[in-house]
Amino acid sequence: MLSKKELKRYDRQIMIPGFGAAGQEKLKKAKVFIAGVGGLGSPVALYLAAAGIGTLRIADHDTIELSNLNRQVLYREKDIGEEKAASAAAKLKKLNPQIKIETISETISEANVAKLVGDSDMIVDAMDNLPTRYLLNRTAIQKNIPFFHGAVYGFEGRAMTVIPGKSACLNCLYHGVIVPEEKTPVIGVTPAVIGCIQATEVIKYILGMGELLTGRLLNYDGLRMKFTEFSIKKDPGCAICGKAPGR
Amino acid sequence: MSVAIEFSSIFAKYTNNQMDIKAEGKTVGECLHDLARQYPEFGEIILDKNRDLLPSFDIFVNGEDTYPHTMTYQVKDGDKINIVLIVHGG
Ligand SMILES: [Zn+2]
Repeated sequence: MLSKKELKRYDRQIMIPGFGAAGQEKLKKAKVFIAGVGGLGSPVALYLAAAGIGTLRIADHDTIELSNLNRQVLYREKDIGEEKAASAAAKLKKLNPQIKIETISETISEANVAKLVGDSDMIVDAMDNLPTRYLLNRTAIQKNIPFFHGAVYGFEGRAMTVIPGKSACLNCLYHGVIVPEEKTPVIGVTPAVIGCIQATEVIKYILGMGELLTGRLLNYDGLRMKFTEFSIKKDPGCAICGKAPGR
Repeated sequence: MSVAIEFSSIFAKYTNNQMDIKAEGKTVGECLHDLARQYPEFGEIILDKNRDLLPSFDIFVNGEDTYPHTMTYQVKDGDKINIVLIVHGG
């Protein structure tokens, strides 16, 4: 049941046709794993906290640096040197004290990923490197939970939603390609756009509303202010989500 | 066959800021080679020494994925080829 305060707090979203108090209850029951609270993870966490997602499990092994502040809007200059997960949790708690925040400051690895994701209902991919993104994608397939991908470069970004067993996974999309890890250019508004698309997808999935970004890669070019969609089919031979996975 | 080539504005520096580019060819491979002939610097970014597509790019024709037979994927007059860089920033 929602309290009087919750009904008031979420009034403007509860009034969306098809949302209702029942929708708000669904958000309250959900547990979302946010992998990375940097450029993408900041808006994802802020908007999911504001929307009243019951539990946010946030993972980031980094500490805050001055050069993060152009885009990682959860942090302030005085936070430099603090752990991102703890600092993010403190901000999110202030925004919405009614929700639960769980923090993880470990590096996500092959060995610990299943345990770190735990009993979360879904994974938001807000990472900054492809190997960990693939690892989280595989974990989502294994746990049979949705995976919300987002990535940025400069004024450009991408997003795609993965529903295991139904739609193409990250490996169907990029077929295991690893690009050299280097410092990527980015302006803060780009992860803000893409992170908000990911958060929108999470909310829609929990509510069971609308059409998800499945089987479609949404490409955003901020310089031309153009969105383009590409069709991504589930690859029957995919090593991760195909017929004989796990090889 | 004349096809339109669309790509990220990241690469506009290799095409003298031209974003409205056409290429000729019967396959994606021929079109990319024609693009490389018109804009050699762009060609160096997307093609390897054997003039194959580098793995960090994906090519879509009219919004459809061409993987894994990208270079031999057939195109027809008026098609649109999108060159998409795999990005991983967060
Ligand atoms: Zn797959």
